[in-house]
This record gives sequence, structure tokens and C-alpha cells, in this order.
Amino acid sequence: MLEEEQVALFLASRLISRGNKGTLLLTIMIIAMVFVNLIFLPSIIAGVVVLFNQQTIDYSYGNLVIEPRENTPVIGDATKLVQKINRVPGVVASTPRYAAGATVVYKGKSTTPLLIAIDPASEPEVLKVHTGIVSGDYLGEGDTGQILIGDTLAGSRELDVDRTPTLGGVEVGKMVDVTFRNGVTRQFRVKGIVDTGTAGSDSNAFIVRKDLMDVLGREDEASQILVRTRTTGDEDAMRILLMQYGVQEKIWTWEDKSADFLQSIVGSFGIINFISTVVSLVIAVVVIFIVIFISIVYRRKQIGILQAIGIDRRIIIKSYIFQALFICTCGTIAGCALLLALLQYLAVYPLVFPGGPVAPLLDTGLVVQSVASLFVVSLIAGYVPSWLTTREEILSAIRG
Amino acid sequence: MIRGSGLQKIYGKGSVEVRALDGVDLEIRKGEFVGVMGASGSGKSTLLHLLGLLDRPSAGTLVIDGVDVTKLSERERTLFRLNRLGYVFQDYALVPELTAEENIYLPSKVRGMTVKECTRACRDILSLVGLRERYNFLPGELSGGEQQRVAIARALVNNPALLLADEPCANLDSRNSVLILDLIRKLNRELKQTVVMVSHEDWHRQYFDRILYLQDGKIVPDPGV
Repeated sequence: MLEEEQVALFLASRLISRGNKGTLLLTIMIIAMVFVNLIFLPSIIAGVVVLFNQQTIDYSYGNLVIEPRENTPVIGDATKLVQKINRVPGVVASTPRYAAGATVVYKGKSTTPLLIAIDPASEPEVLKVHTGIVSGDYLGEGDTGQILIGDTLAGSRELDVDRTPTLGGVEVGKMVDVTFRNGVTRQFRVKGIVDTGTAGSDSNAFIVRKDLMDVLGREDEASQILVRTRTTGDEDAMRILLMQYGVQEKIWTWEDKSADFLQSIVGSFGIINFISTVVSLVIAVVVIFIVIFISIVYRRKQIGILQAIGIDRRIIIKSYIFQALFICTCGTIAGCALLLALLQYLAVYPLVFPGGPVAPLLDTGLVVQSVASLFVVSLIAGYVPSWLTTREEILSAIRG
Repeated sequence: MIRGSGLQKIYGKGSVEVRALDGVDLEIRKGEFVGVMGASGSGKSTLLHLLGLLDRPSAGTLVIDGVDVTKLSERERTLFRLNRLGYVFQDYALVPELTAEENIYLPSKVRGMTVKECTRACRDILSLVGLRERYNFLPGELSGGEQQRVAIARALVNNPALLLADEPCANLDSRNSVLILDLIRKLNRELKQTVVMVSHEDWHRQYFDRILYLQDGKIVPDPGV
């Protein structure tokens, strides 16, 4: 190491080890807090985005959505297509769905949810709606004349509780009247109430596809086939593979289907995240700068004396930069420890968002970026005040 | 050793102009122990600041050890202070976080000595000022007199051509003052160290070879003679 750096390091190490421990600890804690602040909110936001994404896959679309070809209203021979899709490597399962509009009436309360006709045998292999049963049971393959009602749609018996039109607290075992678009009305027994935590599923009603086919007078038709693939993230490749295997219908990824919704959420969170990061960085700059500036002003006389006895100003500046970097390193390490403790805590007591518990998602890139930002800030905070003080007249500095 | 000619130091401008030094001519020979005396505000400390290169004269020339120091750049002045001058402050001016030895070590290390050389020089100089056993004490753990002796040791560690002392006994009791003055005198006699010391204490006269008496920024005949 160069002579100057050696002396600067010597000076810095002594000033740190024999200086005021309380101030040092406080400064380190402040930097640790700033570090946590830089990382925590973006991690939560990343966790929320992951939760939304997972929910979209698990409760609404699966990984891929097959829809009718151009100018074709429905997918015919759905079972055959499902079998074809299931043979494609990488596909775990697929299930046909038929979404139709209908009016559901219970005790004079009427609402028009999305009525989804499903194949109860294959649906649980693709989606996780069945895991959200809070009352009664999930639909079985032969459950014609039975209906599964989303928790939001079922509503509450209490007046003025529901914000959207509901069935006023319908329960398992009760009968509801369902009027289809073609004017046919049938009675269905409520077999279960489902609460998945996602607006998409909890506002819907589900019947078996056979019932809908009977009402519509059709056979084995579907408006969508949902596909679960082995891994999430390679949907684009799977789409191409399905096409290569002869699937001529339109193929969408879950991201395509939820693009508007997710983009608006991610976009909004991105803005919040950006503002939070900028504010945190500005706070970091100001706090570190003030703390080190005060420390240097307090030692102004000492700096003057060091110059008076022939210590070059560059050595003095470097010693303060070393001090700032040391404080920053300790602050970052303490911040990491604090963050890990916080993550441990949140793993046990997660933050509950509409849709489920959210675990903060630590992005290594963000951690590296935050550490780098803090080091740059510390470098500036160590350099500028010491540079300003050493530029002063020696006598002014000595006189304080 | 030191030759100053027409040295002026003017603070402020126009009607608020203060002539702290007003055309001082001086010559100090190698090995002399010179006292700078005078009433408060006479310009004693200003003169010492110019000699210690802590300030620049407004006019005049100053040659120390053969170098016209008025023409040096800031970096050259720093190096000159490090290599050729030793400065003892009134309030000791030790770095409180450094031990006695480390305070002395610092200028010697900056000068480029190895750690071994520095340590040996520090221990030698601490022995010279009678603080060999207290090398590991922080300034706060030393008495005023001991701190001033450390400050003298720090000033001497690089074998300066000139030792400057700005009222080094001002904060000391008479017993410690005598110890410090005796020490400086010893260094002057035994090491042939040139010393310029500011003082306002009349009883210090006995230690000086010669006195520069200042009055209103000018050297005048010493009224004490």
C-alpha cells in the first residue's frame, strides 16, 4: 500500500477506535436503517407482484390459455383437443372451460355473474380453485344440477355489507335459479362456497360443463382450454411447441391475458418504488453527509493542527474517506442483519394482502445497487467536507 | 538561518486595516534561542505564524534555512513544515485519539520512515523529553506538562532546522513551565537546535540568548534590557 494511504488508514483507524463510540454506533445504525429503507419496500412490492402473478396462474388462467380460432366462437371437440395438448412434452394437464353470462337469483336477490362451466376432474390439475372451498364441497364429475358459488358473489346476510351485487348470503344446500342467455332457467343446489382471495374467481359461479352443454344444446364445446405447464417462465417456448404439435387455436400466455391488469399494478408499484428509492437515497446522502460533516467540523481544529505539523491535506482527506467507508461498511452489514431479521419475522408473521400472505422478495441486483449507492454517497460525504475544511486557512481551522 | 526583510502582515482593508506586522527586519543565526516578547497585540504570534509558514506575509521576504519561503506553493510549504520546522502550540494541540507515541509517529511516518525507524525515533525522542514510560498514554491521561513535552517531542522527531514555540508554558503552572523551559534550553544547548519562542512572561528572559521585542508590529529595543 502507498505511504499516504498507510498513514491515512492509520489515522482513520485510531480516530474510529478511540473516538466517541456512541456517535459511531448511532451513525452506523442510521446507515443501517437507510439501507433497510432502500431495500425493504421494493422487496415487498416484488413480493406482491409475484403473488399477483402466481394467483393469476393458479386461479384464473394456468400457464397458457387456448382460445377459438379466428372467426370461430367456440372450440369444438374440446376433449379431443385437451388430449392432444396433454400429449405435448412439458404440459402437466389441461382443462376445458366454457364461460357464459347468466342471471342467478336467490330469495329475490338477483345478480349476473360470469358463469363458468368446468370439467371437475381435470380442473384441479390446472387451477387451484378447489383449494379455496370454505363451505361445502368442490364439484364432482357427476354433479349436474349443482353449483359452486364464489364467496364475493355469495355475499352476506347482513345488510349494507356487500359492496357489489350479491346473492345476500346464500349458503350450501340452498337452491338458486339460474337463467341462461338463451332464456332457459334451471334450479341449482349450492354445493360449495369458494374463497380464493382473487376477485376473478370469487365473483364467479361454477357448474359442470355437461349442464351448460345441455342447456345450450351443444356437445363438448369450450370457450377456453387452460393449460398447466411443468415450469413457469417458459410459456413462450411452450406456445411454439403447442403450435408445432398441431394446435391451431389461438394460444395466449397468462401474461398476455392479464397484461392490462398486471401492467397497471406493476407500473403503479414501479412509480411508488422509484419515488421511495429516490427519497431514501436523498435521505441517505443528507444523513451521511450531515453526520460526517458534523464530525469533521468538530475536528476542524485538529485538521488545522495536522496541516500545521506538515500532514498533507490529501492524507487528511483520505483518512476521512476511509472513516466514511468504514462507517458505511458497518452500516451496510448491520442493515443486512436487520433486513434478514425482518425477513425472518415476516416469514413467520407474513403481511396479509387481499389475495394472500406476501413474503418480501429480495432482489440481489437491488441489494448490490443499494450497497453501491451507499458507498458512493459515503465517498462523497467523506470527501466534500474534509476537502472544504482542508482548503481553509490553517490558522482559521486551528482557531475553530 | 532566518532572514526576514520588510515583513508586513495586514489584516482587513481600508479604514479597518490592521497592521499586525509593519516592516519587520530580522536575522536569527543557527543554534540561537530567541525569545519574541512584547505586549498583547504587538504582533508576536503573527510573526511566529509567518516563521511557521502557517500564514503568508502581505509584503516582504522571508528566507529560512536558505529557502525563500514566500515563493513556495501550498504543497511545498506543507513539505517544508514537515521536514524543516517543528511547531509547539500553546494548547499542546495533540490528537486526542492518538497515544503519546502515535502523536509523534504521525509526522515521522508521513516523512517516509519505516515503521521500525519511526518506532525507534519515537522512543528515543520520548526518552529525551523524559516520557519513555508513558509512550502508550493518551493525551487525556497525561498532565499538561507531559502533554507539552509530547508536543515538543512531536515537533522534534523529524530533526527540524527550526523549532518554533508559541507560548508553550501559557497553560502550565510554574513548576511545569520551568520543566518545559529547561527542556527547550537543553535541546538548544545539546542539539544546537535553533529555537524561536514567543512569551509574555518576564522571567523567561533568562532562558533566551536574545530577545526580539515587538511593539505595534515593529521590532523595537527591548525595554527590559
